[in-house]
Amino acid sequence: MILPITQQDSNTRSVKDLSVLLVSLFLAGCVTIPPDAFVVTPDLQQKRQVETRRYDGINEVDLVTASANVLQDLGFNLENSETKLGVITASKERDATQGMEIAATALASIFLFTPAAPVAAAYLIGSPAHSKDQTIRVALVVRPVIDSKGNSMTDNYFVRVTFQRIVRRTDNSIKAETLKDPQLYQDFFERLSKSVFLEAQKI
Amino acid sequence: MKSILPVFMLCVLLLSGCATTNQQILDIGDETQLQKRSYQSRAFETADKEKVLRAIISTLQDLGFVIDRADLMLGSISATKLDGNQIRITVSVRPKGDDRMLVRANAQFNVSPVEDPKQYQNFFSSLEKSLFLTAHAGE
Repeated sequence: MILPITQQDSNTRSVKDLSVLLVSLFLAGCVTIPPDAFVVTPDLQQKRQVETRRYDGINEVDLVTASANVLQDLGFNLENSETKLGVITASKERDATQGMEIAATALASIFLFTPAAPVAAAYLIGSPAHSKDQTIRVALVVRPVIDSKGNSMTDNYFVRVTFQRIVRRTDNSIKAETLKDPQLYQDFFERLSKSVFLEAQKI
Repeated sequence: MKSILPVFMLCVLLLSGCATTNQQILDIGDETQLQKRSYQSRAFETADKEKVLRAIISTLQDLGFVIDRADLMLGSISATKLDGNQIRITVSVRPKGDDRMLVRANAQFNVSPVEDPKQYQNFFSSLEKSLFLTAHAGE
């Protein structure tokens, strides 16, 4: 419905503006699911590499136990587990305040009293909220390595782990993300390897 | 006064689009239960429940989901994907006859149900690859 613009009636004009606003508000509510939400993209395949390690010469029970122990080492509380399927989920709540964010705000507040005030004010208005706290979630899955004939191998397992976090800001807005930093996963698997070693030695 | 009328009508139109509480709770839409089941289910030619469940878990992980819950006896897996938005999915497995497993999935995106059959088709074709089995139309 496109109304031609006429000069005579300012009322019509404002009605048109209002309709446009309403329609755009209405459309903004229609965020739809990404079309490739259930397709394995090359990007996701690469994530599999980062999130997976293979452990040989250990049985499934010992590997799941070692994994649960390492999650406790990292301060996680176990949420859910189904050891028959090799699944463990855990979570923890942590502070999420970042020194940089607070420092930037403090710095901008100081600059309010200098000639750079407009820039500082724009910054303060633009990003008033800080990260406040966060829930960190982890899911860890142990699965047997499948040989070329399609059978599960004994004492050869893959461990795949994924971290997510939900960050709450001071204005109560929420940011949810899956963590992608390869270094994080590298560090995690180093700790798991240690735990597997300890488990194997029954220490 | 005349100029208010279109705005008023638009508002009525917008509000009438809102579902009632009962409709929201029971997710009553345009499609029948049977239609929903048919695009949300597939049958796989295997009697190994554990194998299917493990394949579902690794497919979901490949798709960027984090597993929330798993239960071998009930045959169900729930998972969440967070990527600026939230997708939640529950997949259940139950035997169908002696040699088949019926896999059923239902998902929600943010606050609305996923009702596009294409999305489920994508999910099942990812699952096919990890199970090395062909999916057959369920129900």
